[in-house]
Amino acid sequence: MITAEQKPIQEIIQYIAPYGRILLVGCNECVTVCAAGGRKEVGLLASALHLNSLKQGKTIDIKEITLERQCDPEYVEELAPYIDGADAVVSMACGCGVQSVAARYKTSPVFPAVNTRFMGASLGQGVWAERCKGCGDCVLGITGGICPVARCSKHLLNGPCGGTSNGQCEIGPETDCAWRLIWERLKELGMEDRYEDLMNAKDWRPGGAAGPGKIIREDLAQ
Amino acid sequence: MSFQAKLTSGEFVVLAEMDTPKGVDISDLVTNVRYLKSRVDAVVIPDQDNGVMHLGALAGGAVMRQQGMEPLIHVCGRDKNRMALQSDLLAAHVLGIHNLMVVKAEEMINGDHPDAKIVDDLDDLGILSMIRSLTTGTDLAGFELRGKPQFTPGIAVPPIADQADLEKQVADARKKIAAGAAYIVLQPVFDLTFYTQIIDAFTPLNVPVIPSVFLLKNVGMARYISINDPGSRLSEDLIRRIRKARDRETECIAIAGEMIHALKGISRGIKISALGWEDRLPAILDSAGL
Repeated sequence: MITAEQKPIQEIIQYIAPYGRILLVGCNECVTVCAAGGRKEVGLLASALHLNSLKQGKTIDIKEITLERQCDPEYVEELAPYIDGADAVVSMACGCGVQSVAARYKTSPVFPAVNTRFMGASLGQGVWAERCKGCGDCVLGITGGICPVARCSKHLLNGPCGGTSNGQCEIGPETDCAWRLIWERLKELGMEDRYEDLMNAKDWRPGGAAGPGKIIREDLAQ
Repeated sequence: MSFQAKLTSGEFVVLAEMDTPKGVDISDLVTNVRYLKSRVDAVVIPDQDNGVMHLGALAGGAVMRQQGMEPLIHVCGRDKNRMALQSDLLAAHVLGIHNLMVVKAEEMINGDHPDAKIVDDLDDLGILSMIRSLTTGTDLAGFELRGKPQFTPGIAVPPIADQADLEKQVADARKKIAAGAAYIVLQPVFDLTFYTQIIDAFTPLNVPVIPSVFLLKNVGMARYISINDPGSRLSEDLIRRIRKARDRETECIAIAGEMIHALKGISRGIKISALGWEDRLPAILDSAGL
């Protein structure tokens, strides 16, 4: 999933300070799962913004709505009946959702309420960790299902640096050494010989070096 | 008088651009620059120009110093993060390189290493702020430097397509001047009327405006520029002039010389690019009466 965290409330308050009518839009996908911008968080943020307005002696009108997927034009269209009744939109989706709303409703200012962090997986209740950099040329088949691009802090492709100690990365004890994990996993799978294979310098074009990525499926595109 | 002193005093400055080799054979660079001594104020050394890997600008600038020429090197953020940029600029000062031109780098995908990772840690404004910070004796992490480097930073304005683009570029340049840019270098335009408009638009920013002239080499090159870079305003008449010339190379040199001569009256300097024909730079200077 794409993970996100809510922005500091003061930053959001600053964005919407000039406006009296706010359309606060959540997303039912990734940001719901990582508890940053789903229906529940929309309600909590609306309450916080109301409270702040009361403290300031102002009134604010907040319309709450949570779309199924904010990065999908089909669902973004559901905002159309409400958009004219709002001075500004605050989106609690990831950056993809914010931009989809801004692209559809060109005359409405759209502000993000979350900081999009990374593509990650859930490790347990309330814990998410980065697992993919979207490099566009997956090496997990060679590295035993553990990504050195996302999980090695130096993005090394051919084994660990000298900073690994007791299976931990020198960046801090909270971070496992990806290459230690890869080695152990390959051993477990009886695939240690894979470790000897050299990976050449990576082609970074599919991961963004060639400009903003775009996928066009000719069989699906209209 | 140094490039910086001439900028300050208001004297006309002449810059010549010379690319470093793709390799370590600097013989052409050294030979060509000898003919420019006392004819140009500084030699501009691009850094991985057009996204093509070359000998770095830092080394090129050091070679210029060894040859008794004043260097001016490009700085961009595509290939280096703030650590490398700062470290290289400290090295630049130590090597006697004090003139910098902050440029927007060519896209990696258009260069000769399209699969390389892009750094882009700092943009132009970030680099200018970094230069200012270094010259005041502090690095970007806030640590004090042992010895302050001295730089004269400028900016290269990207090609300007039309009037609307011109307004945006002037606004961009204003921000960069506030961040420390001490001069502006413009991209080549082959129509003097449009170039005059551009120079006039930048002049109120109160820093020296240095237009560029580059040497067309043949009809094919002129045609390519005319089609692919409409902002260059390279006309059919100019292409025809080259095509009909008995000696096309001499004609191309004359065209560059005439443009420089015309721009001399309306600008604070000139930057000349010969794009691989650096041995013709003296002939261009002769033709321009410089």
